[in-house]
Amino acid sequence: MSRSEHPIARLRGVSKIYGTTQALSDVDFSCFGGEIHAVLGENGAGKSTLMKLLAGVIQPTSGDIEVNNAVTRLTSPADAMVRGLVCMFQELSLVPDLSVRENLMLGAVGTGLGRLNASVVRSAQDILAQIDGGAIGMKTRVADLSLAERQQVEIAKALTRNPKLLILDEATSALNASVVEKVFRLIRAERDRGVGVLFISHRFHEIESLADRISIFRNGAHVETFDNGAYDYSAIISKMVGQRIDDLFPPKPPANPDAEEVLRVDGFSWTDKLRDISIVLRKGQITGLGGLDGQGQGSVLQGLFGLLKGTEGRCVVGGIPVTITHPKQAKNPKLGIALVPEDRKTEGLILQQSIARNLELAALGTDGIDASDVTIYQPFLDALELKCRSLDQPVGELSGGNQQKVALTKWLALGPRCMLLADPTRGIDVKTKTQIYALLRRLADSGVAILLVSTDYEELIHLCDEAHIFYQGRIVRHLTGNDVTAEAIIAASLNIPLPAQTSEAANG
Amino acid sequence: MNTIKQNLPSPDALFPYLGAVLLILGGSYFFPQILGVDYLAQQLQIAAFLGVLALGATVVILLGHIDLSVPWVLAGAAIISTSLVGSGNPALAAAAIPAALLFGVLVGIVNGVGVAILRIPSMVWTLAVNSMLLGVAVLNTGGFNPKGEASPAMTLLATGDLAGIPVAFVVWMAVTGAMALLLKRSGFGRYLSAIGYNEKATFLSGVSTPSVIFAAFAIAGLCSALGGVMLAGYANQAYQSMGDPFLLPTIAAVVIGGTSILGGRGSLIGTVGGVLFITLLTSILSVMQITDAWRNIIFGLIIIVMLLLQTLRRKSQ
Repeated sequence: MSRSEHPIARLRGVSKIYGTTQALSDVDFSCFGGEIHAVLGENGAGKSTLMKLLAGVIQPTSGDIEVNNAVTRLTSPADAMVRGLVCMFQELSLVPDLSVRENLMLGAVGTGLGRLNASVVRSAQDILAQIDGGAIGMKTRVADLSLAERQQVEIAKALTRNPKLLILDEATSALNASVVEKVFRLIRAERDRGVGVLFISHRFHEIESLADRISIFRNGAHVETFDNGAYDYSAIISKMVGQRIDDLFPPKPPANPDAEEVLRVDGFSWTDKLRDISIVLRKGQITGLGGLDGQGQGSVLQGLFGLLKGTEGRCVVGGIPVTITHPKQAKNPKLGIALVPEDRKTEGLILQQSIARNLELAALGTDGIDASDVTIYQPFLDALELKCRSLDQPVGELSGGNQQKVALTKWLALGPRCMLLADPTRGIDVKTKTQIYALLRRLADSGVAILLVSTDYEELIHLCDEAHIFYQGRIVRHLTGNDVTAEAIIAASLNIPLPAQTSEAANG
Repeated sequence: MNTIKQNLPSPDALFPYLGAVLLILGGSYFFPQILGVDYLAQQLQIAAFLGVLALGATVVILLGHIDLSVPWVLAGAAIISTSLVGSGNPALAAAAIPAALLFGVLVGIVNGVGVAILRIPSMVWTLAVNSMLLGVAVLNTGGFNPKGEASPAMTLLATGDLAGIPVAFVVWMAVTGAMALLLKRSGFGRYLSAIGYNEKATFLSGVSTPSVIFAAFAIAGLCSALGGVMLAGYANQAYQSMGDPFLLPTIAAVVIGGTSILGGRGSLIGTVGGVLFITLLTSILSVMQITDAWRNIIFGLIIIVMLLLQTLRRKSQ
């Protein structure tokens, strides 16, 4: 590694105060060229504030930012970009109603005052081709892309800006393992060209494989910076949370394949997106759906919640055949199905409204439940340790992890028999993850059947009792018990046989 | 620690009341008679017409939509009610008010179908419906003012008084109270703002969003029709374009009352204040003997200043 001699950007004694919250306190922090620097911390630890300072989105309350050894005021993102600080935000920053091409040109170097720099489109296409995004049409509206495709475009967009310091905030949160590996190859190439990379991720295995150095933040303070490999997982986690978390995942009870069936679909199909899907959900079981992005896992959840028109196949809930055509029908206590959607900001929650209003929205109008009585949500909020000023606080002011807690809790008061969860831990800090995992396991133990779509194969392995792996709208492998391994999941995701089990897979 | 704040009126909603009080005090400096009971009672009576319309508009705007069919639902309801009374048949005359209100509800449902099922932007759909209603009215009346008259009940609604308080004002307050109760006590009110903020998330919470949209537009149609019946009672006739001058003041009153034109945030109580403010402003400007041109300019300026102050106050929080 040829790390640059002087830092590209450096914070000296930087504090940032929002109202009464101290987001960063007296932080000293440097990032060098030719180095991949991972920043770790819980949500609310100050990582996003750090990124926003470096990207010129916000200015420090006190302290100095140095860029190339000169104290600088970064007054706007454009100002930061001119100095080579390019940020790809966790909050996706593409304009939904513009095409991919237009988004790539928006704010690109050489674009402005009526001039469009089309050359960035060519280089962006090259980059997309390297990260499995070659199929993304330049004329497609960004709103019509999947979350993963949008992230790929974001990455391409950031890289075409010729960064000196590339800031990636949860850049790969919606991407699957094989795409992530390709993105990493690109990032390493940038590093080797002398670019500094600042990388935020909540996936440990990603940081382990990518980072040269790691910095830990906790409660707005810079705790420590060390070389990757200096500490093991558990030591790093305890530095992040300030206390030791022994196990990320709750212990799995022994599988019970004969438990009562809650929901069964047979030969479930929808246009050309889903083909002949058969899944059985049992009481107390957590069933995982894995695979590359957009292989149909999400559509299964939508179909079961009555969001898709023209589905075929048989669906049986609690022993009674049903056709679910509307979310209102799905949530009716007779069926008792709940869906926590993939995008909590636009689908799961109403950000401008208070926590209390969000909580009651699903339960309102259900017989026998007083939705506006906040005490019915309290046990779940306590179990998840929701952090908020009061339940009148707008949900949009909460951190991502706390938002997800609200999105989950609003369904729990209905006492669902079956919960459908679309990647519920995407972009969420470790501590919140463990709280959500523990709650899901507790719900399962109390008899709820859980169907979980996940892009993190650790969840499929450690949280789920069984996993179905999707490829091009079909289930290519059903893994149970000890067969749920990282190798098996990745192989099935790519629809290639496992090296050791070639003959078996060829027969199947 | 996790407590629910009592639903006090927000500062947004109180703002227009403050404006209205300032208007009265400022106006009385030049025209002392403004503080008289007669003048104020008359203002409440006039405000009631706009007020009833603005209640319906608030519901639709909370939803994030807009109803531009107000003018001809109003005129249509006025034409229907006066024609039925004018027919001389006592049975038809008795049905005048219910028929006019039913007409408003039906047009509201047509509006709801266009917006919720056909997914046509409400601004376009309701404008088209307004235009078609105009056409139907002209076909029916040949372009002349329709014959007919108001029934005693309609006249009472518009011009009667109850122990010195105008009946129109009482009607307005009664409708406000009924709607406030509906919005507060039922899920409907919650659903309105939820859809106004984020229709997708509301639908995914298992809410039948189309029914909420139907109901909201039906209520707006009902309010427009009631406004039409009251105005017909006031003028003792229906006339072409009688609703046209009401559309923009209705929307202005809702927005001055702190309801976001984009939906979600807002309140009925604020709208009532907005209506009082706009009515007083119009009245005081016409009492001052200045030319129409200046009156319009000042009216526009004061509306802008009100909205700017609202925005600045909200930002400073």
